[in-house]
This record gives sequence, C-alpha cells and structure tokens, in this order.
Amino acid sequence: MTAGTASRGVRGERRAEMLTGYALVAIPLLLYATLFFGAMLYAAYISLWRWGLRGPRNFLGFGNYEDILSDPIFWKAVTNTIYYVAIWVPLTMALGLFLAVIVNQKLRGQTFFRAAFYFPTLASSAAITVVWLFLLQPDGLFNGIRGAIGLNPVFEALGFPPNHNWLGSSRTAMNSIIILNAWTTSGTVMLFYLTFLQTIGKEVYEAAAIDGAGAWQTFRRITFPLLRPAHFFVGTLLLIGGLKLFDQAIIAGGRGGEPNNSLTTIVLFIYRAAITDNEFGFAAAVGLVLFVLIFTLTLIQRRLFGQEPSW
Amino acid sequence: MRRSWRAFALATVSILLFSACSTSGGTPSPAGTSASPAGSAASSPAESTAPAFDPMSVSGTVVLSGWQASGEEGTALQKTLDAFKAKYPNIKLDYQPIATDYPTAMAAKFSAGEPPDLFYVDSSVAPDWIDQGVLEELDTMAAERGFDTSQFFEGYLNAFKGTDGKTYGFPKDGNTLAMAYNTDLLTAAGIEPPTTWDELKTAAEKLTTGGKKAFCLNHSLDRALAFIDQDGGSLLSDDKTTNTVDSPEVRDALTTYLGFFKNQQGARAGDLGDDWCGKALGEQQVAIIFEGGWVDPYMKQNYPDVKYAWAEMPQGKQKATLGFTVSYSIGVDSVNKDPAWVLLTYLTGPEGMKIWTEGGVANPSRKDVPPAAGKEVLVKGAEYAKPWSFIPGFSKINDAFNNAMTAQIEAKSDDPGPVVDATKAALDDALGQ
Repeated sequence: MTAGTASRGVRGERRAEMLTGYALVAIPLLLYATLFFGAMLYAAYISLWRWGLRGPRNFLGFGNYEDILSDPIFWKAVTNTIYYVAIWVPLTMALGLFLAVIVNQKLRGQTFFRAAFYFPTLASSAAITVVWLFLLQPDGLFNGIRGAIGLNPVFEALGFPPNHNWLGSSRTAMNSIIILNAWTTSGTVMLFYLTFLQTIGKEVYEAAAIDGAGAWQTFRRITFPLLRPAHFFVGTLLLIGGLKLFDQAIIAGGRGGEPNNSLTTIVLFIYRAAITDNEFGFAAAVGLVLFVLIFTLTLIQRRLFGQEPSW
Repeated sequence: MRRSWRAFALATVSILLFSACSTSGGTPSPAGTSASPAGSAASSPAESTAPAFDPMSVSGTVVLSGWQASGEEGTALQKTLDAFKAKYPNIKLDYQPIATDYPTAMAAKFSAGEPPDLFYVDSSVAPDWIDQGVLEELDTMAAERGFDTSQFFEGYLNAFKGTDGKTYGFPKDGNTLAMAYNTDLLTAAGIEPPTTWDELKTAAEKLTTGGKKAFCLNHSLDRALAFIDQDGGSLLSDDKTTNTVDSPEVRDALTTYLGFFKNQQGARAGDLGDDWCGKALGEQQVAIIFEGGWVDPYMKQNYPDVKYAWAEMPQGKQKATLGFTVSYSIGVDSVNKDPAWVLLTYLTGPEGMKIWTEGGVANPSRKDVPPAAGKEVLVKGAEYAKPWSFIPGFSKINDAFNNAMTAQIEAKSDDPGPVVDATKAALDDALGQ
C-alpha cells in the first residue's frame, strides 16, 4: 500500500502498526534468538575449551579444531556422510519424482497409490529401521526370497554369499541404509513434487502435444526443467537431512557405527564425542564444522539449481 | 605440557573435592543429613571435631538411580531396598530408575550439577567419570566411618580406583567371563570341556561338523582381551601408564583368536543370524560360547530344554578372565551424602548383597557372600579376573580394536598386525592426553 501524501495521521498510524507488528513477534523472536543463536554462540564458546561434565577444564584456543582435522575417524565420518548424501539425495529425488509423475496421471485408484507410496513415511524411523534390520538378517526375509526365486547366482557373481550379513558387513552396511532411507523418504519427496507438478499449466502440455512431442520428450523438455524450483527445494531439504543422518545409523550400527565405522556419520561422531567421551568442547567444535559444511554445500546447490529455468 | 595441565586440572578437582567434603560435613543441610552430634562424646581424641558416625541416627532422603535390565532385577532390588527401609526407618528412599540411555541421562545430570545421591557406575565408564571429577572419593569416609573393603574381590574393587589410587565406588556385584558349553554336543564329539589352549584347538576341530561351528565368538575387545590375558599379554602396564599392546604375547593370542574365524571354527553371532552368542547356544548352532552369568536367565526363559554347563575359561600361559562390575557411587554434587553413604554400605555390605544376589540376577562381589547354586564357576573366576576398566578415553581404544578386528575377520585373515597397530595408536593418543 503506497501512501501518496505523507500526512501526519497516516505516519502515526504506520508507526503504530509497525510497533504492534514488532510487539507481536517480539516474544517468539526473543525465544528464537536465545534458543537458537544463543545456543550457537555458546557452542562456539565451548568449542574453544576442553569442556567436561562439570564445565570448562582448560582453555585450548583452536586446539579442538586442530584435533578434529587430525582425527582419522572424523574424516571417515565425513567420507561416509558425503557418500551417503551423494547417493541418497539423487536416488530419493529420482524415486520421488518417478512416483509423483505416475500418481499425477489420471489413473484408476490414484488416491490409493498416493496413500500407499506415502505410507512408509508415516512409520517412525526407529521402528522401520528395526524392521529393516530383521529383513536383512543373514537368515532374514531378503536372503530367503532371493534364494527362493533363484537370484543367488547373480548375487554370488557380485560376491555376496547366500547368507550375506548386509548390515554386518562394512561393504554393504551404508548402502543398506541408503536404500532403506530412499524408500521411506521417497513418499515425502513425491508429495512435494506432486504439488509443484500441479502448478505447471495445461497449456504447455497442449502446446507440446500439438508439436508432436512424445511422453519422454514431454518429460525431459517440459516437466523436468519446469520443476526446477522443486528440484532446488527438495534437494536442499534432502541435503540438509542427509548431512544430519543419525537415527538409522545408531540403531543399525550402535554407538560405534559398526561394522568398522562404516555407519559412523558426522552427527554420530558428535554424539560419541559428547556422550561417550564427555568431550563437550570437541563435540561442539565438530558441530560448528558441520554447520559450515551444510552452509557451504547449500550455497553451492543454490548456485546450481537456484536460478530461473533458462531455455 | 599436556601433563602439567592435567596435574593442574587434578589439583583443581581435588581442591573442589575437599571443599565439597568440608561443607557437607560442617554445615547441617536443610534436609537434616548431617550426623547427629549426640555421638560426639564417643569420638576419639584424634578426630575430636568429627562426631563418630552412627548410621542409625542418619535421617533424610536418598535419591537412588540405576538402570534395570529385567523385571527380575527390579524385583530383587525392591526386595533389598525393602529390607533396608525396615532396618533404617529414618531414611526415606526415593528410587528413580533411568529407563533411557543411562550414560546420556547421567551426563545431563552431572552437567547440571544435580546427580542422584547414589547411583550405578559401570566399570567401563568409571575411569572417565573419575577423571571428570564427578564422583565422590570414598576411602576417607570408609576409614573414618569404619567400612571394611577388604572382602571385595580385588579385581572388582580396582575397577573403581582412579589414577590417584583412591576408590570412587564399591562394586555392587560382579560377573566374569566363563565358558558355557552344550553338554550334548561335547558328549557326541567325545570330548571333555577344554581346560587348556591345546585342548581348545582340538575341540575346535572336533566340534566343527556339518552345519555347526565350535564357537560363537565376539570380535570385540570385551571378549578377546580374556584370551590376550591368558597368553600373558595386556593393553597397559599395571600402573596404566605404559602402552604394552605391541608384544609377541598379544600378537600370538590374536593370531589364535582370529584363526578360529579364518578356519571357520568360530563365527560372530551376526554371521549365524543371531543378535548375540547366547542365542547361538540356545539354537544349538555352536557348542561353546564365552559369556557371563547373564546367559542363565536368558536360557531359562528362551531355551529351557537346551542342556549346557559352565566351565572356567581355558588356560593359556596363565589363568585369566575378564570381570564386569557395576558400582554404587556418590556424586561430588550429590545433596544427601550421609544417607547415601548408609545405603551404599548396606547394599555393598554383606547383608544387603546377600539379599540382592539371592534374587538370582547377580553374583556377589564380596568373598564373604556365598555364590548361588550353579554360579560357582563364575564367582571363582572373580579371584583372578582383571577388571573391564582402563583409562579415561578408553572407548576410542575399544572402538579402534573392534573396528580393526572386524576388518580382519571380514578379510578372513589371522594377521594380528593391523589390530595391534590400530590399538597401539589409540592407546598412545589416550595416554598422551
């Protein structure tokens, strides 16, 4: 609303409106500032100390940060987390997009499929991870089924014995978690994509149909590029979620991220430093490093996907 | 440089400790926890300022916390606590078991400066908590108030001693590793339970037949270390200041242990489709496992028909096993230390421990409390068991060993080199701090 004449009355009214606005957000803002920025600044302060159960023990300056960089397990955790993100994010996006495009068609039982694909998302991550553990046991359902339908020679060729312990072997533990999470998260991703899909106007598709574009061409040339804001939104969300992977890792691999640290993620590493080792300063320092990592990667992603589609 | 810092930290902590002691002893707290001055006439001239300690006159509330592994454990503890209440009616008991992840919950309480008055401390975290300065030193009180600690098995008591040689907890019970064997399978193979490493190796060959393996083994240090001890090896010198893991004894023991995996005579529980070796014994997939008394209630509940018996761990160059124990400890910041002390000495004394261990879930940590029937082997092991308690920051050493073992087992190798190297590096790191 633009005030053409800056009369006294209008100005006073505006000021009162402004003050009311600030007053209304003051309390939540204050809470946010204390609980979020306050905690963050405090963590930065703690990270400069050797900080134990009863508080500060001695001042280290940037000693904790030096220790982090020379800790091989930290690098293992970073590698694991980045590996997870690099596979899981594209996989989940592809799966979610695929499901979204399918349920966006005029199919019989559309509502049923939407609900069915979204269903795994509803289960608690802890419960579904435990179910996953059972399925992937050496004598579990997965090994049983692949044996029963005669797929064992294929797996054997890939180097997996009939009773392969999927989560107990450092070669396959992380991949098992990736598949689990791709499955459970794809429902949410589908929902996001579906929302964006429905904002694409019919006329674009009609134009494409008149030009004689096939289904694949329509998807590749129209749907996919027009979904660019969705890609950015979903990608950012998954990237941040992926970098914070914790619950599935600790349930499947315990505190040690077993086997052989193959499930040690950055957040699990922080948890271990704080809770098992009582090195709160060190843990806070890793937390800040993770913050910087998430921030940087999100910026890079913004560069890649954030602009308007140009074609 | 780092050492001097550490000395400074220790000095600071001990000053804090002393000041905490003197305030709690000097000023009567609002909860009325200080000892009654009525007994002061009886005190010896040397301690003229401190009144003699009479547990019967102590009153107040004591907050007790711990975890509860099973319903039976809860019943046994409740029975013991009831007996305590009957004996000390002036002390009010507030039992607050911690249902969630215990170390996490306790870390929060310690950081807030509000620990319970008396609580469980697992031997594996004891060095860390002692180093963090959150546990009350108990030797002084034991000496002043006349509590005899000589009846505790040494291996259990030592688990709660700090680098300063002082005691920070009394073991509430203890368990040792021993050999649980399937009697039918051993009879079928025509062998006796192995008592030496040579017999163990022969048993490994004879018991591995068809789909069955001789042993269910853990890759982890909390099992393998028993075998290292048996061969005369160790991680640390007795004073816990020197790294001793790189020795022919350790390498030899690990070669033997990894050899059982390599030769397909032993397997991890996970590779057998089980969540732990107790299940492998119950499912009769293996003939022998190396576990502790916690197997018994599990077998009774899940596999009552499987016949098994206990034998001592096979002897290498020497008899050795590992002792797992949990203490009752008082926090430096605990509010009601006097009633906590009365409860502590009751629960870890002969009277309370007898009631507690008769509950069938735990074995005594004292020599003057007789073991329950069937638990003789496990209690006998306590005479020579080494405690599962090392130095601050031990979890990283444990992780390093376990991860390197996993890698060797997956590679089907019996080369101890990578395991020794990884453990040595982690030990050096921890010792340097």
